[in-house]
Amino acid sequence: MTGPVRGSDVQMTDRWRLHRRRVRVVQMMIGLLVGLAALAGLAAPASADGEAIRVQVKDQQRTADGKTDNQPVPGVTVTVVDATGAEVGSGVTDDKGVVVIPVPGKADYTVRIDESTLPDGKALSEQTPAEQPIAADSFITATRTVNFFTGESQRTETGTAERWLQRLSDGIRLGLIIAMCSVGLSLIFGTTGLTNFAHGEMVTFGAMVAYLFNTMGVHILLATPIAVVAGGLLGYSSDRWGFAKLRARGVGLITQMVITLGISIAAKNFFLWRFGGRNQPYENYTNQVGIEIGPITITPRDLITAILSALVLVAVALTLQYSRLGKATRAVSDNADLASSTGIDSSKVIRLIWIAGGALAALGGVFRGLDEEVSWDLGTILLFLMFAGITLGGLGSAYGALVGGFVIGVLVEMSVLFGVPTELKAAPALVVLILILLVRPQGILGRSQRVG
Amino acid sequence: MDIGFVLTQTVLTFIGFQACYFAIAAIGLNVQFGFTGLLNFGQAAFMAAGAYGMAQTVPIFEISLWWGMFIGIAYALFLGLLMGVPTLRLRADYLAIVTIASAEIVRLVVRSVEFQDTFGATDGLIGYAESFQQVGVDLGLNSTADYGFWIFTFSGRDLWRLIVGWSLVAVFALIVWSLMRSPWGRVLKAIREDEDAVRSLGKSVYSYKLQSLLLGGTIGAFGGMYFAVGQAAVQPDVFSRDLTFFVLTGLVIGGVAKVTGSIIGPMIFWGIYAFLDSLLRELVDKPVRIGDFTLIQSTDIGAVVYMVMGSGLVALMVVRPQGIFGNRKEMAFDGR
Amino acid sequence: MDDDMSLTDTSGAADGIEGTVDTTAERVYSEFAAKARAALSGVAPEPGAPKPDPILVANGVRRAFGGIVAVDVDHIEVQRGSITALIGPNGAGKTTFFNLLTGFDSPDTGTWRFDGADMGGVAPHRMASRGMVRTFQLTKSLTKMSVIENMKLGATGQKGEKWWNGLFPATWRRQEAEIEARADELLKRFRLDHMRDEYAGALSGGQRKLLEMARALMTNPTLVMLDEPMAGVNPALKQSLNAHVRGLRDEGMTVLFVEHDMDMVHDISDWVIVMAEGQVIAEGTPDDISSNTAVIDAYLGTHQGRSLLEDE
Repeated sequence: MTGPVRGSDVQMTDRWRLHRRRVRVVQMMIGLLVGLAALAGLAAPASADGEAIRVQVKDQQRTADGKTDNQPVPGVTVTVVDATGAEVGSGVTDDKGVVVIPVPGKADYTVRIDESTLPDGKALSEQTPAEQPIAADSFITATRTVNFFTGESQRTETGTAERWLQRLSDGIRLGLIIAMCSVGLSLIFGTTGLTNFAHGEMVTFGAMVAYLFNTMGVHILLATPIAVVAGGLLGYSSDRWGFAKLRARGVGLITQMVITLGISIAAKNFFLWRFGGRNQPYENYTNQVGIEIGPITITPRDLITAILSALVLVAVALTLQYSRLGKATRAVSDNADLASSTGIDSSKVIRLIWIAGGALAALGGVFRGLDEEVSWDLGTILLFLMFAGITLGGLGSAYGALVGGFVIGVLVEMSVLFGVPTELKAAPALVVLILILLVRPQGILGRSQRVG
Repeated sequence: MDIGFVLTQTVLTFIGFQACYFAIAAIGLNVQFGFTGLLNFGQAAFMAAGAYGMAQTVPIFEISLWWGMFIGIAYALFLGLLMGVPTLRLRADYLAIVTIASAEIVRLVVRSVEFQDTFGATDGLIGYAESFQQVGVDLGLNSTADYGFWIFTFSGRDLWRLIVGWSLVAVFALIVWSLMRSPWGRVLKAIREDEDAVRSLGKSVYSYKLQSLLLGGTIGAFGGMYFAVGQAAVQPDVFSRDLTFFVLTGLVIGGVAKVTGSIIGPMIFWGIYAFLDSLLRELVDKPVRIGDFTLIQSTDIGAVVYMVMGSGLVALMVVRPQGIFGNRKEMAFDGR
Repeated sequence: MDDDMSLTDTSGAADGIEGTVDTTAERVYSEFAAKARAALSGVAPEPGAPKPDPILVANGVRRAFGGIVAVDVDHIEVQRGSITALIGPNGAGKTTFFNLLTGFDSPDTGTWRFDGADMGGVAPHRMASRGMVRTFQLTKSLTKMSVIENMKLGATGQKGEKWWNGLFPATWRRQEAEIEARADELLKRFRLDHMRDEYAGALSGGQRKLLEMARALMTNPTLVMLDEPMAGVNPALKQSLNAHVRGLRDEGMTVLFVEHDMDMVHDISDWVIVMAEGQVIAEGTPDDISSNTAVIDAYLGTHQGRSLLEDE
């Protein structure tokens, strides 16, 4: 069809190449499986085979600004009645604030909460009245989850300054986590040009590994470093048996990008399968009472993760600034050709970035899991905020990810103060993303690129 | 195990409703991704635009269903401009990021309590599709009676939506096919390969990219509209990020930059899906346990099937990035 | 990929050149070259010299990347109907200057006029419709399209390139046929007609250069800007390329080209502009330049002892 006619020997080579390629695919798959094997032990959700309504009662602890902190409320009596008003079942919430009430089938029910059994000083929040109707067609799986939220019963009007400070403190925590998770994503892009859509799953992976060890009885303080090491290993294997091979074969960036989409789908559904669709808290530090620092209420757990995140990020910045590896990383990410001509082994740098990026993503995942709860799509949700952050900071820029991620986190939380509904607080990140692309596409810290 | 059931399911899904609306969306995505090289990872948002445009008519705006087409197109064009204007002058990755982000925000907005009166929040919208179904009845298809032969027996309602769906597929395939043979299509293909060459020859690359994004998005919106009337209900979580990825998977299975690929790909995607799904459902009639460890139970099947599909996409990209029917020389989507 | 393909074409290219093209070119050469040289004969051989009939005039064009000034051209004029070469050592800013003039990059300061019209801030795609077309150092032939499709893409003002017309072949079919005829004519002239329906990817490096030049001509330009037309072209094809470049001038077009190949520069250019470190350091006829000490210094300074005429 094109070019000179090829002889049969050429076809032989093609076949041989195809064969070798298949071998590599098998190798890659094995690599992937080994990487995920650690997770295979995650207990599948224990649920009765029949239909059930799962009621969660959570305390938001804070009022006015509506931030959900997901503290479980135990000891609350819950009743389920059917369409005729007959009682189907009832129960009392456990330590995790959960009660599962089996129901005869998918039908219309009403879930009722006994407000007198709420802890002293707590009342149901306005969004979730004491009676919630359940429609038959809202059973997506066999188990239908219903949430009740409580808050302080006496609404004290908090001052503007206090609300701002509270939001700022929440925003800083989110920003630190996003910054931590984004470093790998941005540097991998900077050095290889790959937009890794599976990076969110690397974050989830960290949270999952910690959860796995945590449920096996390992304290979260020990489970966290284990998760970080696992994250590093995942990063290492992704590059060693995955993307390094693809790069060596000259597979195009768009093909690689589609591959990350595939990995993202596969990994996410793997988590859903093994972990189940519900949120689960870690075993330790779940029930903490907030301490007040000036106008801000924060649990010791959140305070400590925030401080640790900040320390880790400072360490990352110092490493990038002063260590040989850091300088090499920045050089490769600025201009790979130039860097290799000055004797930097860019493939080694890329490998190290994958390891460090994986480890940081895992740590971010654990912290996020502590902050909220562990869920199968914990990282997936963060991915978009990470992208907004690194674009804001400058795609591929080392410090851009830190600064941009942090700014996005703060912005997302603070936006609620400007009338953005809580459930839409991620939307301002998109607005920022679009504005920055219109005004300064290279980001805050990126340098303008040559066109043409 | 009933292998006959598994095979029947596979065959029926192969030509079924889902394959059909996926094919429409994939034809649109192909214009952008396959022919122009635009990384639109937010096709779900365009589909949602179409679907909600249709679904809002009767319950929200209290107008005839057919206006929904214009509303859906308007939404899609708005989205396309929002995504395209800031990004299409920049390198390709920015479009990818903005589309994926926009799709996420669109989903959050339509499911939010804040806009319950406009989009119906998590419950979605229902009660608008009667006039669509009525047309089928008027044409003599009794919605409860069965039509067809052998395993291909459909209720009048199903048959009607399949006829409409595959006609839409044919119409859009024909439109895209002839556009891609025109000088306009030639410019798009050239942009996929090398923007600067096209620019130096006096074509406004930006404007063509925007046209491609809008056209592909509008076709995607028609996919959503068809979904809305065929399903008679829309719910926000249908339009998740996974929807885009699955449409994309279907497209690359068939082979990008090929109109036939964008039709057959989604059919194969759903064929494989139905095969795995019904096979697993036959095999896992009760939870499979090893000691205390539950390996798989019926509620896991959806996730497991999607996991296999995701891995399949990875394997396909590694082994045969041009798709099953593609020609590597012409179709590989990395122009570089 | 390139290597195995170029083997097939060397023979094909070599047989055509010696015959008809060269002699015709030689005949016309004297007439048009003489005209161009006569026009330039009164021009002082110094940087920024005014020309009797300039088609392109640039003033104070400056572009810096970070702290490094890549281009800083005070004043430059290009004579209409001439072949002007832009030479200089690596990193002299020639290609950057090209990018600035054609709108592919924007200068920090400076203005330039093409045919009397101010071109500052004009988008690159508008250049072509005004009669200014460029090629690239690394060829940008669209390898997954056929040679003829590549050519047809070059035509400007196509009705069928509007999407609403795309669906109705009746609106563009006749124009398409005209374009195709013109493309075929050019292909014949550039001796690519035998590759008409092949993928452009099947062409050798030299053939791609030819294709790119031919495709640029499809825009009916008045000024053709060639960025290193000889780079990566095998010697057998160079003569043919030379003849084609002369042919452009002989048809009344102005040619401005960046080149490292000093033989070519000497052979075909009517005027030479020398850049070093972003500035124009010398101008003159090819003979003026060969004897210009500033030029020799500039080359020696960066090439460390290599001869000016030595090939890159």
